[in-house]
Amino acid sequence: MPPVATPTAPAGPVPAEGDPAPPPPAVAGVEAAIPAIGTRLAKAMGRHHDPRAAIEARMMDRIADRPDLRAAIFRLVDVRPACRDYPDIAEHLAALLDEVAGRPPEGPVRSGDLPGGELPVPLGLARSLARRHGSRTLVGVAGAAGVRAMAGRFIAGEDAADALPAVRRLWKDGIATSVDLLGEATVSEAEADAYRDRCIEVLRTLSAGSARFPARPLLEHDQHGELPRVNLSVKVSALTPHLRAGAPGRGAASAAPRLREILRVARDLHAHVHVDMESLDHREAVRDLTLSLLAEPEFAAGPSAGIVHQAYLTDAAAELEVLLGWARRTPRAQPLSIRLVKGAYWDHEVVEAQQAGWTVPVFTDRRACDREYERLTDTLLDHADLVRPLIASHNLRSVAHAIAAQRARGLEPDAVEYQVLRGLGDPLAAALAAEGLRVRTYCPIGDLVAGMAYLVRRLLENTANDSFLRAHASGTALDRLLEAP
Amino acid sequence: MTLTAAAPLAPFANEPLLELRRGAERTALTQALADLDAHLPLRAPVIVDGAERGGLPRRSVDPGRPERVLARAGDASAEDAAAAVAAARRAFPAWSATPAAERAAVLVRAAARLRDRRYELAALILRETAKPWPEADADVAEAIDFLEYYARQAVALAEPRELVHVTGERNTMTYAARGVAAVIAPWNFPLAIPGGMVAAALVTGNTVVLKPSEQAPACAAALYDALRGAGLPAGALHLLPGGDEPARALVVHPHVHTIAFTGSSAAGRDILRKAADVVPGQHHLKRVVCEMGGKNVVIVDADADVDEVVPALLHSAFAFAGQKCSAAARVLVHADRYDALAERLAGAVATLEVGEASVFGVDVPAVIDPEAVERIARYTAMAHADGTVLAQAPLPAAASAAGGTYVAPLLVAGLPADCPLLHEEVFGPLLTIEPVASVDAACDIVDASPFALTGGLFSRSPATVAHVAARTPVGSLYVNREITGARVGRHPFGGNRLSGGGTKAGGPDYLLAFVEGRVVVENTVRHGMVV
Ligand SMILES: Cc1cc2nc3c(=O)[nH]c(=O)nc-3n(C[C@H](O)[C@H](O)[C@H](O)COP(=O)(O)OP(=O)(O)OC[C@H]3O[C@@H](n4cnc5c(N)ncnc54)[C@H](O)[C@@H]3O)c2cc1C
Repeated sequence: MPPVATPTAPAGPVPAEGDPAPPPPAVAGVEAAIPAIGTRLAKAMGRHHDPRAAIEARMMDRIADRPDLRAAIFRLVDVRPACRDYPDIAEHLAALLDEVAGRPPEGPVRSGDLPGGELPVPLGLARSLARRHGSRTLVGVAGAAGVRAMAGRFIAGEDAADALPAVRRLWKDGIATSVDLLGEATVSEAEADAYRDRCIEVLRTLSAGSARFPARPLLEHDQHGELPRVNLSVKVSALTPHLRAGAPGRGAASAAPRLREILRVARDLHAHVHVDMESLDHREAVRDLTLSLLAEPEFAAGPSAGIVHQAYLTDAAAELEVLLGWARRTPRAQPLSIRLVKGAYWDHEVVEAQQAGWTVPVFTDRRACDREYERLTDTLLDHADLVRPLIASHNLRSVAHAIAAQRARGLEPDAVEYQVLRGLGDPLAAALAAEGLRVRTYCPIGDLVAGMAYLVRRLLENTANDSFLRAHASGTALDRLLEAP
Repeated sequence: MTLTAAAPLAPFANEPLLELRRGAERTALTQALADLDAHLPLRAPVIVDGAERGGLPRRSVDPGRPERVLARAGDASAEDAAAAVAAARRAFPAWSATPAAERAAVLVRAAARLRDRRYELAALILRETAKPWPEADADVAEAIDFLEYYARQAVALAEPRELVHVTGERNTMTYAARGVAAVIAPWNFPLAIPGGMVAAALVTGNTVVLKPSEQAPACAAALYDALRGAGLPAGALHLLPGGDEPARALVVHPHVHTIAFTGSSAAGRDILRKAADVVPGQHHLKRVVCEMGGKNVVIVDADADVDEVVPALLHSAFAFAGQKCSAAARVLVHADRYDALAERLAGAVATLEVGEASVFGVDVPAVIDPEAVERIARYTAMAHADGTVLAQAPLPAAASAAGGTYVAPLLVAGLPADCPLLHEEVFGPLLTIEPVASVDAACDIVDASPFALTGGLFSRSPATVAHVAARTPVGSLYVNREITGARVGRHPFGGNRLSGGGTKAGGPDYLLAFVEGRVVVENTVRHGMVV
């Protein structure tokens, strides 16, 4: 597979960490418009509050400043699918909480132990009950139910048929979807084939199921023409067992035939295929594979397809130029969609770089990352005639900025798409729809075992002290949340 | 070059690995390889007291393409070994009297020279041992780490130790160099392992005779050049490329004080036995620092995350064709997870890419020489005869056509409990997998083994992790990760039981193996008065 392009010198100056916010390539009035937009969205979000999310937020709030407890709870969620039975879950819970309480992991339970030393009362109780024969199953059941409830918020169903009612409901409410198939890591050719087959099956099921959806003009048309109803997000790491950070060509070459088949089916069904971005280890493979396949003559007329751009990378500006340059050189009937995100692998990037001794490739200052996101939003919107800009964020400030920037440029309401993740951005999606904007919810489907990695990542993100959602949930004042980064 | 005491050293930090995910790094390495190829063959002569001796009758070759000669090398004799020891003995008084800070400064300068030649050295390692890029690069980084780490340790070790103090006496304890050290090194970490052993011996004030592996003399010559270029006196280090003869001569030489050896168990035990004999003219007991083989077991409990287990096992068992003493050889899986793991692992083994080390992304390169092919073939035959081969990765015809010493990676199950394949070190791309009833049953199996080098555990229960950590005899237990890739200062490395003497290279105590304690007790009372 020939490399598409290698980012050379950045087109603009690479923003230094923590530099004072340079004014965005000014489209007048953007900053002034943000507070009103943000306030209106926040008010609308309040009307779509999910009580389950509120309970979870309160719990997360309580453990957010106890990293040890937070770790124990995540580890339980993580190991849940591998537990044999309820007592096994209870044993894991007890051992994890023992660690938090700083006790020898196999210490005997003394009757004076209730409630556990440094643990909040309910968890101390759980730990003691988990050690007792009579109550062990009870604790296991409660733990399992807790994990299932959390998972239910983020995962739309076990398979496409299962998820279809939720997809239809959202559509009726004016919200489009992109379906993502959760699964175990792909380590063999057979697993990669199975993932491809599931993708194709989902495309067919959703295509048949959505044919009779009511018309939603805002969701079905933009400045470049018609938009497909069916939208599938795929991961290259699931399409090949050959991804190697030091050999992007190997993974790309192995994933290519499978992705090509998916693209063919999508083209024939008029569905959209979006290739998710993963960690920096695989950026070159994902980008080169996606762009080189989309440039193949058989896909010149379709399908609609897209890629993801991560703003948290310090070389993001140069990388976006690579994508825009490709789009300029590669006219397609369906212009490239570019989903702008901050990036979901922040911890991984930082830890990997620190362990290997590399320069950390992501911004380590939240505000620098948010500023870069706004700059890239501006660049994308400036190229709305060349590509399809998709703004994927739950950060009210980032989103309000994009809306203001869209309006300041005189772009039509359907010229930009806003995207959220199911379970994290549902109130925001509803508010955006009410605002008359085009919005799409990313809906993972799969079973609990398969979804665990996804679930743990979302929960970690949701409770990171740095996250917008957490700041919002813990009651930070709206005007602070809407401040320029 | 004159030796000057350096400024205090900054705290140790591991040398960064090359960021191979960046195209520019890969291009630089490919270019370095082309440059190296244009200069082949290199020279690796016998060097005693800074002067070459004898001719260059030996050859080292690229295992992936044996007609490519990497170096023409010397063939040291027993007389060369004797000359080297005599020269090292002459140089000992001056070198051991050199302040520790100055000796440390030589190591730090040598590290800088390796750092400057980073790409070139990775290319050299890749060619001489068919070590793929990520591992070849890690080898250079580890050599740099050893130099930097031991430099700092030696400066600290030169400070007198605190002893119990009472009025009227002054007690001090210091560590002194032992004398001449013989370093006998293997080919599988052709820069890092000789680099580490030589650096430890030199920086503590010993003079050194290095006998590198016959398969990797050019890497040893590069190490020699870096140290001499950094200002090491000619008498402090001597280089004896060749076969077994110089190594045997060194082991029994009356004036060798310390033998630092990394290699096979059989050779290590032979050295220990011979070193125990005090020969005429010998006025000391020899000390042997030895790192030998292993049969490294990874335990997978029922609560493990199979998604993480498979890639970790794949890398631990098959990277560099399994030719690391830390490599995974045997997987013991809780019966509840056995079918799932065996099936997925088999599918993964089938995806391994066998081929030339220089191709980025190749998983399994050629093994070191035809003898290794033969040895591995014996075990492969055993696998087919006595067990069930779950997966075998394909051998590309093109690779073998170049005459490279390739063997097909194998995953084997169903072997009888007494099959030698389950107990002997293969040192090749073979992995066995067995179900066990419990983690304790797996621990019993590990306990029954005479080897105790590395081990692995996959479990998500803190109780299980603590339990296995307390029970296992291995030198390094890796939990929920691959079991190879020890980093200096972070993962001190060395086997227990028959896997080695228990010293931990790259750890806080390693230098103690190269020194002897000296205590001075001075009476400070004169005429009944404390003065
Ligand atoms: C529809 C949709 C699709 C997505 N697809 C992808 C995808 O394909 N690939 C992908 O990688 N991500 C994807 N994401 C996830 C996204 O990258 C973010 O992780 C997530 O949306 C949180 O960012 P935010 O703007 O919503 O929230 P915010 O709270 O504003 O931002 C949180 C983000 O900021 C960054 N961050 C955290 N801490 C720091 C710090 N100390 N310094 C600097 N930056 C920091 C991280 O990226 C973190 O995720 C997707 C998100 C959505 C909504």
